[in-house]
Amino acid sequence: MPFELILFLVMVGVFVVGAFVLKLPVSLSMMLASLAALLASGNGLGIRHLVEGTFGYVDTILVIATAMIFMRAVQESGALDALTIVIIKRFRRVPALLLPLLMLVAMFPGMITGSSSASVLTAGAVVAPVLIILGLPKASAGAFIALAGILGMIAPPVNIPAMIIGGGIDMPFVGFELPLLLLTMPLAIVFSWWIGLKKIKRLEWEEIAPRLDTASYERYGFRLFLPIVGVAVLMVLGKALPSIFSLGLPVVFLLGAAAARFVGKRFSVLKASKAAMGDALPVLAILAGVGMFIQVMTLTGVRGFVVVSSLSVPAALLYVAIAVTMPLFGAVSSFGSASVLGVPFLLALLGKDQIIAASALSLVAALGDFMPPTALSAIFAAQVVGVDRYSLVLKKLILPALVVVAWALLFIGFSTTIRGFL
Amino acid sequence: MIQRHHVSALVVSAVAVAMAAAASVSFLGHSAMETIVPGPGVKDVRMLSDWFPALAGGAGDTEVYVLSGDEPGGSMLVLGGTHPNEPASFLSALLLIENAKPDRGTLYVIPRTNASGFTHNDPQEGAPTSFSFTLADGSARSFRYGSRATNPIHQWPDPDVYIHASSGQALSGNETRNINRAYPGRTDGTLTERVAYGIAQLIRAESIDLTVDLHEASPEYPVVNAVVAHERAMPLASNAVLGLEMQDLSITLEPSPRNLRGLTHRELGDSTDTLAVLLETCNPSQGRLRGRTDEALVLSGKDASYMKAFELGRLYVPFDGDGISIETRVGRHLATIGELAFALGMEKPGRDVEIGGIPPYEDLIARGVGAFLSPVPAADRE
Repeated sequence: MPFELILFLVMVGVFVVGAFVLKLPVSLSMMLASLAALLASGNGLGIRHLVEGTFGYVDTILVIATAMIFMRAVQESGALDALTIVIIKRFRRVPALLLPLLMLVAMFPGMITGSSSASVLTAGAVVAPVLIILGLPKASAGAFIALAGILGMIAPPVNIPAMIIGGGIDMPFVGFELPLLLLTMPLAIVFSWWIGLKKIKRLEWEEIAPRLDTASYERYGFRLFLPIVGVAVLMVLGKALPSIFSLGLPVVFLLGAAAARFVGKRFSVLKASKAAMGDALPVLAILAGVGMFIQVMTLTGVRGFVVVSSLSVPAALLYVAIAVTMPLFGAVSSFGSASVLGVPFLLALLGKDQIIAASALSLVAALGDFMPPTALSAIFAAQVVGVDRYSLVLKKLILPALVVVAWALLFIGFSTTIRGFL
Repeated sequence: MIQRHHVSALVVSAVAVAMAAAASVSFLGHSAMETIVPGPGVKDVRMLSDWFPALAGGAGDTEVYVLSGDEPGGSMLVLGGTHPNEPASFLSALLLIENAKPDRGTLYVIPRTNASGFTHNDPQEGAPTSFSFTLADGSARSFRYGSRATNPIHQWPDPDVYIHASSGQALSGNETRNINRAYPGRTDGTLTERVAYGIAQLIRAESIDLTVDLHEASPEYPVVNAVVAHERAMPLASNAVLGLEMQDLSITLEPSPRNLRGLTHRELGDSTDTLAVLLETCNPSQGRLRGRTDEALVLSGKDASYMKAFELGRLYVPFDGDGISIETRVGRHLATIGELAFALGMEKPGRDVEIGGIPPYEDLIARGVGAFLSPVPAADRE
């Protein structure tokens, strides 16, 4: 048995014992697993490696933390309730139109930022209450916005996994827009109907109104939406005019949170921020643990062992390897999956249209955001809809995830044919 | 009243602080520059800020070694350390500084093109912080293993998407700190772009005839053991490749892609009069398929994981139990630089650069890199 496989089993074993037997937090279990592999491989305590690994996610951690503060502030101001009222009033009678529209709204922040978490935590939090009021069970609403998160992350104009894969073979992020639209938009429409159409009810306004908190909207009106509009505008300007409006997402979210303080119901900024950080901390800690985990996997040769094993399948099974290993590695990180496995797989897909194949690989990598223990999209979606156990949301995502994989593999298999139509 | 969770919070915080302190010592130690011992050909040591004063005293300023012969001739610039996680690049530049002696023309060598990149490692890559050689006199010299990119301490945060200034090309945001995506640079850009601008200014001011950018690539990367040349440099590069074939060193010649912007071989060729080429050797310590990552892998280039990948047909270079040693990689770079300098004389008569003292490929393989490093003077050791 190769030593790297033994180390891998040690890491997995320690993690399982920590998380499931000792009931330690996932983040601590990942740190213990990393520590065990450091010791077993003769690297000592390897403190430098544990700390260095976490720095791979500093930017992501800042985005998530500030997005959570923004969402809490918007919620406290009464803007979320007000937005729910406006959407329900306008579109409740045409669910076939309403559902794809809500899916697009929920995808939007991910399309602009390349982050599924940004989508789920911002627009997802707007869309989810609407879906729930219109009759969707909470877990289904969670699945809806979690899917919007990963589809938004992959849809153009910004797709970071595709950029990472392209960067690995010196392919600029040019000409990806159309393949990415084709990959994501049909899925977005189909999933919105699949999850919502049967369960959504055509309710009369009089039936719904008593269940909504209309007081804030009646008192403050449209100005409640200014922080949300402002954040959306800054996101778009950051993309359209990066040389002037390149504030970065954390600053944009904090500006939005500050604005929310003055447009609606008064609230304590400190209390709202503390509550937001309380919600975010477990996930932020998981990211830090994942950073350590990847660093130690790389250091000890486990990462190389995983990649070479994935590539060692016969050519006919290459597609199976892509379908299985990329989402699985996404359990560590979807960006990591794009970098570590996406690049070698693209190199192995000789003869395929490289842009279409890279686009499709990025979609498969994005499914990593559903994969426990990190499962960023699913965990945040469960938090947004108020479901205690995110596994309930995950169960609703299994079939759509299989469809996503099949759709992506079709694009890879027929990439040259598809290129002929573009 | 102190409760149990207060105690555990205190303990966890103390452990976190201790870990941060230990990591900080390692991180800060990475900024200590290794000594370079100027050899017989070095006539002057200048700073890049001499050509772009805005860099003076900052993290991007870097040494430029000027080696000149007694006879007038052309000029050549060698860029080492563009990516400090590609050690053969820095070491080849270092061996030129410590050994080469031009007879004709002027050779400019920048060993740490992205000086900031030498002060840290890439997160999640598990790279060693340094690697060492034993010298002929029994002493040892250590050199830093760095990062592909500028240190975020010096340039942060990255945008989500990096837009190359002069072309509008979009790349992943972390490429913002990659100097080989920043050329021809700009005066009011990021630190990385300003360093790139300084190098372009040097080339313009000194009328550099030939610029050679030294790199390494992973064995699974298609462009490896290669010369990548701007279209104006193709005839010169072709002659150099022929010369290498005569030495039994096989190397491919690749044209600089017109649609991949920000790289030396494209932008320096387009925006200055220099003939721009980029060299790639094969470095198993930077690929995604590598096994255990440590100093031994950096130096010996031996890796069982890459052997398996080669058997699977996943590599672009042969890979066996002998690995691809640092001597092989540095030797290839130096041999190619020698051939390019020779070809420059044919391409531009009267602008030739004749360089003696470059360690020959066979000697490097036989005696090792350490045999060509000068002992550090006692005063510098302290």
